[in-house]
Amino acid sequence: MNVLTDRHRERLLGYALIAPVAMFLGALVAYPFLSAIYLSLTEKTVGYPAHFVGLRNYEALLESGRFRIVAWNSAAFTVGSIVVKLVIGMAMALALHNVVRGNQFIRGILLLPWVIPTVVIALTWKWLMDLFRGLINVALIDVGAVRSGVHWLGDPTLAMASVITANVWRGFPFFGVSFLAAMQTVPQELYDAAAVDGAGSWEKFWRITLPSIKGVVAVVTLLSTIVTLNDFNIVYIMTRGGPGAATHIFATYSYELGIMSQRWGLAMAASMASLPLVALLIVAVVRYLHREEE
Amino acid sequence: MGTLAKKLAVLIALTTVLVPMPEPPAAAGKLSLWRLKTYIPPADKILDTNAQECAKKAGVELAIQTYTFDDMWTKFTAAIESKTLPDIAELDAVGPARLANLGRLADVSDVVAAAAKELGTILPNADGAVKFGGKYYAVPHYAIPLVLFYRPDILTKVGAEAPDTWEDIQKVSEKVKKAGVQEYPNGFPWNRTGDGYDPAMSLFWSYGAAWVDKSGKFTGIPKAAGVEALKVVTRAYLADKTSAFDYLSWSGATNNEAFMAGKITFTPNGPSILYQEESTQHPLLKDTAIKVMPKGPAGRNLALTFVMNWAVPTDGKSPKEAKALIGCVMARENFVKYMSGSFRQMVPLFAKPLDDPYWNTPGGKIIVDTVKQGHPVGWPGPTTPAAAEVVSGNVLTDMITRVIVDKVTPEAAIDEANKRIKEIYDRLPVK
Repeated sequence: MNVLTDRHRERLLGYALIAPVAMFLGALVAYPFLSAIYLSLTEKTVGYPAHFVGLRNYEALLESGRFRIVAWNSAAFTVGSIVVKLVIGMAMALALHNVVRGNQFIRGILLLPWVIPTVVIALTWKWLMDLFRGLINVALIDVGAVRSGVHWLGDPTLAMASVITANVWRGFPFFGVSFLAAMQTVPQELYDAAAVDGAGSWEKFWRITLPSIKGVVAVVTLLSTIVTLNDFNIVYIMTRGGPGAATHIFATYSYELGIMSQRWGLAMAASMASLPLVALLIVAVVRYLHREEE
Repeated sequence: MGTLAKKLAVLIALTTVLVPMPEPPAAAGKLSLWRLKTYIPPADKILDTNAQECAKKAGVELAIQTYTFDDMWTKFTAAIESKTLPDIAELDAVGPARLANLGRLADVSDVVAAAAKELGTILPNADGAVKFGGKYYAVPHYAIPLVLFYRPDILTKVGAEAPDTWEDIQKVSEKVKKAGVQEYPNGFPWNRTGDGYDPAMSLFWSYGAAWVDKSGKFTGIPKAAGVEALKVVTRAYLADKTSAFDYLSWSGATNNEAFMAGKITFTPNGPSILYQEESTQHPLLKDTAIKVMPKGPAGRNLALTFVMNWAVPTDGKSPKEAKALIGCVMARENFVKYMSGSFRQMVPLFAKPLDDPYWNTPGGKIIVDTVKQGHPVGWPGPTTPAAAEVVSGNVLTDMITRVIVDKVTPEAAIDEANKRIKEIYDRLPVK
């Protein structure tokens, strides 16, 4: 006797169909994430059992002058990168939006930094900024702009600016292409009407384009903030966090603690330190988008 | 219901196929070996050929995997946690101490004894990194000693002798700069690479500023000696400006490049610069010389940080075969073939091959001398997990850059470093 109704069967099939995805998400996302949170609450050295210590790792980090430098550097690296990417990305989108001939070709070229592996980008910028043989210094000396090489990767402030530059170069196409796609959905009629009312380019941008694409701007900025905050390759390859700790950021610091010093608990806590900020950012963006939809 | 059952069966089958299963440990008859990928590819090739021939003779299948200095601990960390260390592991200077303290290495005293029969007695200074509690937990394979690379042509030009002390390096660098030959001749990079932390150990030890006693117990860096050492090297960055801040951001290869580009007069490095110059017939080859690293007021206490050792992790299922393979690779004929193909990069830690005519060149003698005088990480005590962390955590180079970059006083930098080192030694007692 068949005890299951069609509705029950359908529901069962639905659960069965999503079960593999749920399992994969659980195994690949939820488990590592929860495991990382748990490890951050333990005294865990590689190879030894973990001992629960509550918030002691976080306390140790807060008391550490080195961690404060790392947190400050991470903030400077992320904010600096995002702001510049936002500006260049917007400029790129606006420029391409109005290009009629060769639009696809230019778009393809501008996407190049985004598709090149980060390791290649970091190595290229490291070479460009080399004190002795870097193209930038050689060019500056050749044109007589400077008498000796600029310490792009040696001066603490310039080193931070240099790693930000490499990060911006890699990331701005993502902003540009996303903004361009959003701009292309804005009805032309709005611009025509604004033109009839005597609006100039700036007013059209400020009153039509930006409000129309602000949802995309928010999401792109959020995603890029998360990726930039967790960036490792550019800093590790270009400066190894140096000179001193002038460009040491969360990712390189966690690597040093977790892999080189084998202190997983502390490394996880250092990695998790930016989580509340990212979570707040996500909540703020999601709430904003919901409000906009309503 | 039949259709639903079929769909579920398909889903379960797909899930089973798609979920990756952990690789089973190597069974007897199969061995896994992890080794360092060095800067000398021809030497790597000889080692692999030797190992494969040894495996063939023993009738086992050998799978070789490699790692670099940069990703070694990423690979080992994952393997330690997942209990999937290979049958044979080539470990760095601190690996045996770390893994033996975890109880994850087999006693290989018998293999060391067999190797000693073939290659002569083990160098006393190699013991500290592989012998714990009277037992050997690794077989010293070779050392890559850091030597002082310098430019004799530039020294002649400025009327200076090759430097023998840390002070001399500063003085000669100043002369080179004043003569307008090079702007930043002093290429000692106090960074997060071996070219930073190995000379840092030699520096502090040469000023009598070790942080442990002979038993390996924490005593702290003595302030007066430490300050003296800090002052001599930070002066190059802060006062004399004979070193550029960029050196503090260099990778392990950038000092080689700067030296070969003719931009620096001095730099610490393994003999790989010689290999690169010889194999490319580089124009600076004739103007490149090496010397044992400098001494300080407390003597010439060199660090031997780049030492590779064969170990048999207890995760493996074939310790007997693994030991036999190490024994075969370390057999005199195989070892000498490997050593002779290493462009003087791989220096033995057993007595007999050190007397081989291969080393009978001016450069060869300096390289051998460096190894003979070198001390293991953690000197004057044995290598311990805590000593390993002082090195891997870049405590010493951080101390130097705190003075150079963050402008803290040498005294404050030493206090900070001692606090960090004490915390490490308190946390990692030796079992």
